[in-house]
Amino acid sequence: MKRGSRGSTLVETVLIAPVLIMLLLGMTELARVVYTYYTLQKIMDTVARVAGTTQSVNFCNDSDPGLIAAKTLAVTGSPDGGNALVNGLTVDQVSVRAERYEAAGNTLAQCDCSFTGCDASAGGLPPDFIVVDMPNGFTVRPLFFGLTVDPFLLKPHVRVPYGGT
Amino acid sequence: MLDPVGTWNRSSTLPARDFSRGAASVQLLVILVPVLLGLMGFAFDLGELYLVRGELQSAANSMAIAAAQKLAGTDVSSDAATLYARQTLENASGFGNKYFFGGLAIGQTNGSLTSEAPDPAYFATAVDATAGSTGSEVAGAQARHARVTLTAEAPLTFWSFLSLASSRRVAVQAAAVAGISAPLCTGCGIEPIAVAAIDGTEPVNFGFVPQTEYTLGYVCNGNPIPGSLPNTAGRIPYLLLNRLDTAPVIFTDEQSQLYRDGAGGLPANASTTQACLTVNNTELIWATAAPVQCSTVSPGASVVSWMCGLTSRFEPTYPAQCAGIPEIDTMSAIFPQDTEVTETTDYTQYQGNGRRVITVAVVDVLTAVGAMTVLGFRQFVVEPVAGGVDVNVADANGRFGALFIGSPVPLKQGSVSGCQISSGPGKVVLHQ
Repeated sequence: MKRGSRGSTLVETVLIAPVLIMLLLGMTELARVVYTYYTLQKIMDTVARVAGTTQSVNFCNDSDPGLIAAKTLAVTGSPDGGNALVNGLTVDQVSVRAERYEAAGNTLAQCDCSFTGCDASAGGLPPDFIVVDMPNGFTVRPLFFGLTVDPFLLKPHVRVPYGGT
Repeated sequence: MLDPVGTWNRSSTLPARDFSRGAASVQLLVILVPVLLGLMGFAFDLGELYLVRGELQSAANSMAIAAAQKLAGTDVSSDAATLYARQTLENASGFGNKYFFGGLAIGQTNGSLTSEAPDPAYFATAVDATAGSTGSEVAGAQARHARVTLTAEAPLTFWSFLSLASSRRVAVQAAAVAGISAPLCTGCGIEPIAVAAIDGTEPVNFGFVPQTEYTLGYVCNGNPIPGSLPNTAGRIPYLLLNRLDTAPVIFTDEQSQLYRDGAGGLPANASTTQACLTVNNTELIWATAAPVQCSTVSPGASVVSWMCGLTSRFEPTYPAQCAGIPEIDTMSAIFPQDTEVTETTDYTQYQGNGRRVITVAVVDVLTAVGAMTVLGFRQFVVEPVAGGVDVNVADANGRFGALFIGSPVPLKQGSVSGCQISSGPGKVVLHQ
C-alpha cells in the first residue's frame, strides 16, 4: 500500500486530467455556441431596426440597396463591409419578411409582394412589422479533439415594428 | 532519467505520515471536481441567463416601440396600442419573438417554465414612464409613452445538478420604455401643403385653436374671396409645396404624383429632400398648382388631383372628376380607407385608423411667387363634406374641412436634429 501511494497519484492524475480537460474544452465550446447565438440574435435585431428606419426600403427585393446596406452593417459591423462579426456568416443567409397588420381582425400576415402589398417598387406601402431570420439556420460545429460532434443549428429571428428610431 | 526502482525504493522508505499521500489527492479531487464543475456550470448558466435577458430586452424593445407608434392622442389609442404591441409576440407564423435560443414563447407557460408579458403601461411623460413604480399611469388620449416589462423563467442547465441549487430555473426580467421623441425638424412622408401661421410667435399651435374645424381652401386671386364651409371656424388658405419628382420610377405623371401625395403623403424616396420637409428651410409652390382666379369653376387640374388623393382616404372608388389621372385605378387600390369616415368634432373620440390625419407644414407667409419658410408641422383630421362621407373634389376653390388637432400623432420617419423648436409632431424613440 505504501509502495503504491505515489504511483496511484500519478495514475489518478492521468485518469482524471483528460476528463477535466474534456469538460473544460466542452464547456468552452458550448459557451461558444451560446455566444454565437446571442451575436446572431443581435445581428438580426440590427438588420430589422436599420432597415425599418431607412427611407424607401423595398422589403420585396432582396437586392434592394437599403436592405443590403442594413444587412452589411449588421453582419460586418461596418457600412463599408469587411469581415463578418460571426465567422462564416454572409449577408445572403439573412432573410427579411414583411408583415402587415389588419386592425379589423387583429391579425398579422405576410405582406404580398404586389402594389397592394409591400412591393415599394410598384408603389406598395411600407409593412407594419419586419421579421428578420435565417431560413436555413447557422451551423456551429463544436471543435472537440478533432472528433466529429453533432453540429448545432442556430435559427435566430426577431420581429420588430416598422418605423420609429 | 527517472530510475523506477529508485523511486519505488525511496517511496518505500518514506515515513508513516506519507502513508496517506494518495488518499489525500483523492480527497482533494473529491472536493475539487464538484467545485470545478460547479464553477464551470455557473459560468455557463450565467452566460445563458445573459442570453435570455438579451432576447427579452430585444422583445421588450420591439413591443414598446410598437405600442408607442399607436398612441395617437385618442381615447381608443391605448387599447389599439396594446393589441398592436402584442403582435410582436404573436406566434401563428412561428416568427413571434421568443427566448432561450428562440425556442420558448414569451408570455406563455412552456412546460414548467412560466413567462409573463403583461399589457404595456402608458404614461403621459417620459419622466413618469421611466420613474418605475412611482410614475402615474394614464390611458387613452393622454398616453404618449409605453413601458413594457417582460419576465421569463430560464432553465438552468448545470447549476441544477448541484444539490445546493434550490430551483432549476431563474426568473429573468427586461423592461423597455418607448415614446414620442422631441419635435421633428425633418418630417418625412407628410403632406406637402403649407398653411400660414395665424400667429407665428405662438410656438404650440401657431394661433390655431385645437379641436376647431377650419376650412382649408386653396389660395386664389381676386374676388370674391371664397367663404368657409358650413360648421367651420373660417377659411385657412393653403398652397401645394413643390415636391415634383423629376426622376420618378413609378407613377411618373405629374398628376399621378399629386394624387399619391394627397392619398398617402410624400412617397418614400431615398432622397430626403424629396420625401421630407425641414423646419427653417424655404419652400416654393408646386409650379403647376399656381393659384387661379377665385371666380373660376376649378382650382386647376393639379389641385383637383391632390383633392382626388385626399378623398381616397374616405372611399375606395374615385369620383368622375378624377378619372383622367393616369394610373388612378392602380393607385386607388394601394391606399386603404379610414375606418371612421364620419365627421369628427372631438378628436379624442375619433376611432379611425389615422388615415384621415394629415401633417402639413406651417409657414411664415403664404406666397405663390416667392420662398416660404417652414416654421413647423401640425396635424389636421380631414373632414367629410357636411352630410357626406368624402371630400368634395368638385369644389371650385379646393376647399375641405379639417379639424386642427395640434401634433399628437407620431410620424413614421424623420429627424430631430437641426433646429430649435419646442413643439410639433415627433417620432417614436426608445428611452434607454
